[in-house]
Amino acid sequence: MADGQTHSVDAVPSGSGFGQALDRVTLERARRGDMAAFAAIYERFGAACYTLALRVLGEPAAAEDIVQDVFLKMFATLRSFRGDAPFGAWLKRLTANATIDVLRARQRFHGDDVESLFDSMPALAADAEDGVDAWSLLMRLPPRARAVVVLHEVEGYTHRELAELFGQSESYSKSILARALKRLNDDAGGSQEVRDAT
Amino acid sequence: MQHDGLATPRGFDPRRLPEFVPDPALWSRIAAAQQRRVLQRRWRRAAFGGAVAASFAVAILLGGRPLVAPVAPSATLAMQEESRSLEGEWRRLAGAQAAAVGSTRLRAIDAELQAAYDRGATSNELAPLWRQRNRALRGLIAAVQDGAYGRVSSITQL
Repeated sequence: MADGQTHSVDAVPSGSGFGQALDRVTLERARRGDMAAFAAIYERFGAACYTLALRVLGEPAAAEDIVQDVFLKMFATLRSFRGDAPFGAWLKRLTANATIDVLRARQRFHGDDVESLFDSMPALAADAEDGVDAWSLLMRLPPRARAVVVLHEVEGYTHRELAELFGQSESYSKSILARALKRLNDDAGGSQEVRDAT
Repeated sequence: MQHDGLATPRGFDPRRLPEFVPDPALWSRIAAAQQRRVLQRRWRRAAFGGAVAASFAVAILLGGRPLVAPVAPSATLAMQEESRSLEGEWRRLAGAQAAAVGSTRLRAIDAELQAAYDRGATSNELAPLWRQRNRALRGLIAAVQDGAYGRVSSITQL
């Protein structure tokens, strides 16, 4: 999981960060290049960007790089944001695109065989001491499957949007999602059984 | 680190995934990177502006009129030849009336040309005057050909 520089925040509904509203005044000030306004936007959305990137990439340093890249890009392109969609949705798209770009750059996206994607998954340790939490289960998935689960199940992406994002068909992301959720549920149930038995 | 994300007996629940906040120093790194970008943009603009100003100054030093393409003396000579030809044509068509009626505009251009030559004007200054003279002569010729020559006022306006 995350290193010591990363702090979890309990009792915050997952995926809610991008749903926050941004007031018009702050947006206009940011458009004019006001750094205080940028800081306010970071204060509001930085954690959401970081959480999304970290859930997909699983590495705090890589997730921080994503946040930095996304915010610098946001500063540069904010004038082109027309406000047709909520600001958070626009920022979420920037974050998701940047994160998927990193996965692509790591050459983990080759191959269309969904089954082989899950072959490298490590087996769940039968003696998991404290059970297996949702984060640990997610981190056991291969990165592409994590991306599909997080974007679809948490961030509300449709399969059509996922197909565009990954450059694949809708059935491809549906297949990955179905297999990933089955694995997650199987592992979560198995973990529960281990705990019940002990 | 602790987070409230245990899988439930019902299975994996994505809503129980933890939220994270990044290293508090991340914002200062982003802000510093943004400041560097802004400064770089300003430097690029300043450098571009300086380059334009420098080239302008060099052009002034070398040619005196940096934004006007120099006119070759041969081009002025060609316009003079054309002017002589047009004037001959006009006098041939207008006959005796040419000297009597003439053209106010033509005389004014000739005076400007004479003054320009007297002060040693360059080809860049002479060329537009010769161009004006030729245009005025073409107008006179056209007026004669249209039969308007008898109307003195229309000729002198040219």
